[in-house]
Amino acid sequence: MNEIIEQYFDLSQMSKHFDEVLNGFVITLELALLATVLALIWGLLLALLRQLPGKGFAPLRFLSIGYIDVFRGVPLLILILLISGSLAFLPLPDALTIPQWLGKPDNFWYGIMALVLVYGAYYAEVYRAGIEAVPDGQMEAARSLGMSHGQAMRNVIVPQAVRKVIAPMLNEFTALLKDTTLVSVIALNEVALVGRDIQSKTFNSSALTLGAIMFLIIVLPLARLVDRLIARERARTSRGGAPPVMHH
Amino acid sequence: MGEAMLKLDGVHKRFGALEVLRGIDLEVAHGEVVCVLGPSGSGKSTLLRCVNLLEPPEQGEIFLEGKDICKGPDSGTGEQSWRLDFVRQRVGIVFQQFNLFPHKTALQNVTMAPERVLGRSSGEARAKATQLLERVGLADKLNEYPERLSGGQQQRVAIARALAMDPHVMLFDEVTSALDPELVKEVLDVLRELAAEGMTMLVVTHEMGFARDVGDKVVFMDGGVIVEQGKPAEVLDNPREERTRRFLGLVLDR
Repeated sequence: MNEIIEQYFDLSQMSKHFDEVLNGFVITLELALLATVLALIWGLLLALLRQLPGKGFAPLRFLSIGYIDVFRGVPLLILILLISGSLAFLPLPDALTIPQWLGKPDNFWYGIMALVLVYGAYYAEVYRAGIEAVPDGQMEAARSLGMSHGQAMRNVIVPQAVRKVIAPMLNEFTALLKDTTLVSVIALNEVALVGRDIQSKTFNSSALTLGAIMFLIIVLPLARLVDRLIARERARTSRGGAPPVMHH
Repeated sequence: MGEAMLKLDGVHKRFGALEVLRGIDLEVAHGEVVCVLGPSGSGKSTLLRCVNLLEPPEQGEIFLEGKDICKGPDSGTGEQSWRLDFVRQRVGIVFQQFNLFPHKTALQNVTMAPERVLGRSSGEARAKATQLLERVGLADKLNEYPERLSGGQQQRVAIARALAMDPHVMLFDEVTSALDPELVKEVLDVLRELAAEGMTMLVVTHEMGFARDVGDKVVFMDGGVIVEQGKPAEVLDNPREERTRRFLGLVLDR
């Protein structure tokens, strides 16, 4: 029993490697936050393309739907490997294919690209659920007042849709945060890789456990927050609003 | 009265296999109040939604101030957007379910379109919105959100919102049907006042008293056609058509 506790929860190992693990987790957080912000923007753009009305926009709608379907279906790990192992060989400027922006290494940016490509598609679906949960009468009222489709989306539909999907957005953030550990396969020193290196040197897993605990410190309060947001939205709905959007 | 404000000529509208409007001819003169009665599913709401092109008709013509708003290809962008702008800036509509913007206050509901669509300054839009909301008796509710307002109050905000665009014609789609009975009068009073001021109005309603008092003309629809139309007293008291008699019997015997 002691050996089991020692393997996973050796406090002296944890304190000895605390700074390394924390530095890895900071990189994890940087990856997750930047990827989330970019994926939120990219996802909104995809969702808006998908909602464009009329025959003239059909090609853009189909492109958006195709993109969303494909990138929700592709394993993130394969995408990371594809990007990191191929981009440098493309006939494009080095600044794009071997990016070093903001003083971050290229494998950081390959990770960002893969996460944004995939999570942009996920977020697009969350936005779509939110947009579709806004009653049709809202668009009709806006259009009847002379607003264009774009004006109605910007002033009436999207602000309401975003409010409805904050809870599922936070769920997606949790999933993305955990998925950043996959970027360890291209040698980015985020928390999983740091923990694994320590594990292979010391034959002790406590540094990895410590990394997992750091995730939980972020994720568990988020889960409670999501519950409270959903409860609040339910209370609002029971007073006659449109129902909240659930996702996953 | 000269040229009609609104003239419908053989308007047809179908949804899939269901033909909802089967050849509607109707004229509304300047300043006239026309009340449309009929059982549910008779096409009354669709008629209104055709007039402001929320549901463009497939066949027939609609003239607004003498201009044919159905002409031109539907796919082309230039012609259609011209028609939409022309129509939406002249025709106001108020819906059964109010459709207020829930994330905006009463005042913001009324100022949004004048600012965004007509390009009015926010000061100008606010002044006009305040005046309109006072006129519908909501001077003390300017900064309330819709969910804090009663149905009758919400519907009055919706009327003020439509009036803020300076419409030439107002369409009312069963605007009291979703209201508790004690809230109906406050909304109908606003409609009466508008009619007295000379607004051209096309009113789909189940309120027989309102149609009799305020309507210049009453139209009875059934099965996607206009069965009978005329002065309120004629249609309501001496209907010529059997279908009208049966409907009025059902409604008035309650």
